[in-house]
Amino acid sequence: MNDILLLIGRSLRVAIRQPVAILPNIAISVFFLFVYNSGLSSVAELPGFQGTYLGFILPVSLVSASVGGAGLAGQTLVKDLENGYFTKLLLTPTRRLALIWGPMVASAIILTAQVVLVMLLALLMGLRVATGPAGFALVVVLAFLWGMAFAGYAAFMALKTKNAAAAQAATFAFFPLIFLSYTFVPQEYVTAGWLRVAATINPTTYVFDSMRSLLNTGWDSTSLLVGFAVTLGFATITGALALWAARGVTKMTS
Amino acid sequence: MSDHNGEDRSITAVGMRRDFGELHAVDGVDLEIPGGRIFGFLGPNGAGKSTLVKILTTILNPTAGRATVAGYDVQKQGGKVREAIGVALQDVGLDPLMTSRELLMLQTELFGTPRDEARKTAERLLVTVGLDDVDPRKRAGAYSGGMRRRLDLALALVHDPRILFLDEPTTGLDPASRAAIWEEVRRLNDDFGMTIFLTTQYLEEADRLADEIAIINKGKIVAQGTPSDLKREVGDEVVELQFGSSADAASADAALAAVAPNRQVGGRELRLYFGRAAENVPELVRVLDGAGIRLQGLTIEQPSLDDVFLRVTGEALEHEVDEAGDAGSAPPDAERAEVTS
Repeated sequence: MNDILLLIGRSLRVAIRQPVAILPNIAISVFFLFVYNSGLSSVAELPGFQGTYLGFILPVSLVSASVGGAGLAGQTLVKDLENGYFTKLLLTPTRRLALIWGPMVASAIILTAQVVLVMLLALLMGLRVATGPAGFALVVVLAFLWGMAFAGYAAFMALKTKNAAAAQAATFAFFPLIFLSYTFVPQEYVTAGWLRVAATINPTTYVFDSMRSLLNTGWDSTSLLVGFAVTLGFATITGALALWAARGVTKMTS
Repeated sequence: MSDHNGEDRSITAVGMRRDFGELHAVDGVDLEIPGGRIFGFLGPNGAGKSTLVKILTTILNPTAGRATVAGYDVQKQGGKVREAIGVALQDVGLDPLMTSRELLMLQTELFGTPRDEARKTAERLLVTVGLDDVDPRKRAGAYSGGMRRRLDLALALVHDPRILFLDEPTTGLDPASRAAIWEEVRRLNDDFGMTIFLTTQYLEEADRLADEIAIINKGKIVAQGTPSDLKREVGDEVVELQFGSSADAASADAALAAVAPNRQVGGRELRLYFGRAAENVPELVRVLDGAGIRLQGLTIEQPSLDDVFLRVTGEALEHEVDEAGDAGSAPPDAERAEVTS
């Protein structure tokens, strides 16, 4: 366990030394929150809309924060692979998987901090969570899990490409994931058939649904179950891919 | 195996092979290196030196063959091997965002040393490699090439390894940094009986440091022995003659057969190997003059790696090919891709 803690500590320290890798991501999340909330809040006046537009758009900002933070895991790994430091670590008796888990957990800690920060900002902007503190916590948990799922994907791409530019490009998957969904208006107002199809396929839709129910409408077990199931399923797939790629990189001699 | 304090410090390999697709990077290498030696592994870029080091240091799996390091099987007992060895690869592996003390402490702690002790180790090694007076806040990314090499060497020493692998430790260094590394390598071997496996492209480096040298070319060991043995085979000095055309060089090669039994032609140049070159120069000039071959230049040199190579492989080092390979494409990338996929 000690080796994982050492490697998490190291990843966190290095991440904090590169605020340019973290700050733009926080800025984008805050941008979503402010700009869309002030620009599109009249959506909440449409007939049948439940809750506030702030509660509706906040999940978009949270998913953006979590996905962006998760990309850090890939960035750390790819930099280590490129500058040879990964090999230096491989030459220690450290458990091979600790080398992958270190950056993953560190990025999870950072993304959780970002998510909480955005949530607190939303509270300051007048957010009332329909399900109370427990719902607030569940929203953070969902964002965290979704981030870990994306961290698995980022780590997989980093380990497979071993190229910073390619790993960076891979994080652009974030765009279709966020925007090909009921991002700005509820489902019932979206008429474009193709977008409805895309949103149904897009797992993010179910994360948005779960978070929105917690924030705006109250406890909805179906929506929560589906949201958590989709998130955990996605995390399992990307986690398995990351482990598979890690097995190749570390050769798994012990 | 000669041991030190009862610990195995030897390196052995039998039928070691590693293919990258069609390329046989290491093609049937056998090694038997007793503990406590400095073993020099000499060869051009792309000869298979780095691949062999990666196999022996458990970073890369061989395609075939068996190797033991410190008495442990490199494939089946990787963890044990890693505890016994220190490794400084050709590509220095430092996180540019960390300071020397952070890098040294983390590396030491990952070997299971408690924090307080790791701090002492870090300070001690910084003195050893002469980096103790560098600003402690300076990050590795701001270090010069020579400083990075020295820090990388310090990282290889955090756990007092019994065997040290140095892959081209002085390539690209200035003469002062090179001399400092040589001195340190000697000291580690003298003071601690550390076995040192050193790869190099420089004959001079192998000559100065190594008790024994193996020359590797295209994945195969083509010569092995003490530095003086190898050089004696080539001759102690080289006379290089330059001509106006390759036809002239070829005629001179034929004309000088009786005067100089050891010769190599390359383009418009002819290289002749002697025990003492100066004594033979007047005769060379006389013969060429008599044959009516116009000489454009004459230089006397020490035998180089090329000369040893010519001798043992019968062909010149393929400089362009090797340098191109080193600069980017084929062997190093192929290695890296394989290490990590």
